[in-house]
Amino acid sequence: MIEVEGLTVSYGAGRRTVLALEEVSLTVAEGELVAIVGPSGCGKSTLLFAMDGLIRPTQGVVRIGGKEVRGIRRDVALILQDAGLLPWKTVLANAELGLRIQGRRGDVREVLAQLGLAGFEHRYPGELSEGMRRRVGIARALALHPKVFLMDEPMANLDSITRQRIQNLILELWQRLHFTGVLVTHDVEEAVFLGQRIFVFSPRPGRVVEVIDNPGVGTSDYRDSDQFLARVHHLRKALVGSAT
Amino acid sequence: MRRVAQYVAAALAVLLIWEVVSLSLLAVRGRVILPTPVTTIRAGIRDFGELSSAFGASALRFLIALSIAFALGLPIGLAVGFERTLYQTLSPLIYLTYPIPPVALLVFLYLAFGVGEAVKIVVVTCALFFQVVVAAQGAARGIPRSYITAVRSAGASRWQLYRHVVIPATLPEVLTAARVSVGLGITMLYIVETKLGLAGGPRTGLGRFIEYYAFRPELSLAGVVGLSLLGLMFYAFLEFLERWLCRWKHLGGPGGP
Ligand SMILES: Nc1ncnc2c1ncn2[C@@H]1O[C@H](COP(=O)(O)OP(=O)(O)OP(=O)(O)O)[C@@H](O)[C@H]1O
Ligand SMILES: [Mg+2]
Repeated sequence: MIEVEGLTVSYGAGRRTVLALEEVSLTVAEGELVAIVGPSGCGKSTLLFAMDGLIRPTQGVVRIGGKEVRGIRRDVALILQDAGLLPWKTVLANAELGLRIQGRRGDVREVLAQLGLAGFEHRYPGELSEGMRRRVGIARALALHPKVFLMDEPMANLDSITRQRIQNLILELWQRLHFTGVLVTHDVEEAVFLGQRIFVFSPRPGRVVEVIDNPGVGTSDYRDSDQFLARVHHLRKALVGSAT
Repeated sequence: MRRVAQYVAAALAVLLIWEVVSLSLLAVRGRVILPTPVTTIRAGIRDFGELSSAFGASALRFLIALSIAFALGLPIGLAVGFERTLYQTLSPLIYLTYPIPPVALLVFLYLAFGVGEAVKIVVVTCALFFQVVVAAQGAARGIPRSYITAVRSAGASRWQLYRHVVIPATLPEVLTAARVSVGLGITMLYIVETKLGLAGGPRTGLGRFIEYYAFRPELSLAGVVGLSLLGLMFYAFLEFLERWLCRWKHLGGPGGP
């Protein structure tokens, strides 16, 4: 479904060139949910931007559904690292933003209600808690009914209860809607809880250093199983190893 | 309600200071230098018809200048601040022309446009225009990247980018800048109305009114009060506009709910 081949991305020009990703190749099967983990600044957001068509690869290609990504596609939605809400728009207007820009209609209120945001439609982002803001960001992407969901650290900097709640929400949405998902995180437990496969990245320039199979995702009480703990342990060691 | 009371108290304080100053000047110099508030207000009421036409003429002039400054300055400033190539080509030009005071070029403007209405509006417009352009340009450059990415990621066109991000993101800063430059605009208005208004009567503008009645100080001073009220009116109007259009900025902050 998603194929990344020899992807290299550098920012800037001349002496100030920053190589963010180097020769990254990976594939994500249709309906699969994968996690990308790596140290800060290794190019995780950059990878999602390239998949979303926001930036052009310096080298290599990204293909989705067999077609090369050359710009924004309607069947791909991105949840930004900080939810990307516009503070001058209400919750409703923020959630509708994607649909409106694409000239589409859709029932955003229902999506908001599903995410526990009913009654907050006319509030501004500045009046919400951080956890609610993230959910508005998720609602905005969900409203587009995408086939591919790109999620850039949707749980970063949340307290642990809110974090678990949103992790469960994402799992539930994935099981119900069968989208193909790429979740960027730097939280080890989160990667193991949500990634059927986990791609471990090296520090910048980002390269895939290990792929971990994690078939338990979605089974009940996975978080409390010994297998889960063993994988967390393994992934933690892989991350430390990648950084040296 | 408490805010209204605070403003009334402040206005009374201004009148009191004025009264004290004019009485002290009278005591020291032995003659009227600064008319008292009561004589000034009485003079203003007696010649209210003339004063209010002068006020109307000045207000209209200022409103036109402000509207043109916004209509031209906002799009130019936003585009120059937001579009990289425009920024590279035009920002040096703005940088160099910004410090030129248009009033200093009054002689040439007068030769070009005559002493009619046009030149007055041109000078006031220029002064406000540059304030708006510079504020809009700066604000457009400071838009957080994530807002732009959010909208681009949905497939926004250039126009949608302006409509959903650039304009609303910069509006508070631009309106604040415009509000702050009302003082400058009023000064310019006074200068053009006095320097270029010699042929007209006292009804052609408050600047002219103030000069025309230089030998009736209480009436002249009433004109000054009118000019201050004019500035205050526009200042308050722009503040209202900012609070109304940028409600999201005032959530729970000072003065907010
Ligand atoms: N627009 C840009 N111009 C120049 N350099 C950039 C730009 N965007 C990102 N970079 C650099 O590219 C590298 C990768 O950035 P990216 O945001 O993809 O990292 P990340 O893995 O998402 O980091 P984090 O975990 O902190 O979100 C970083 O070193 C960053 O400084
Ligand atoms: Mg990132």
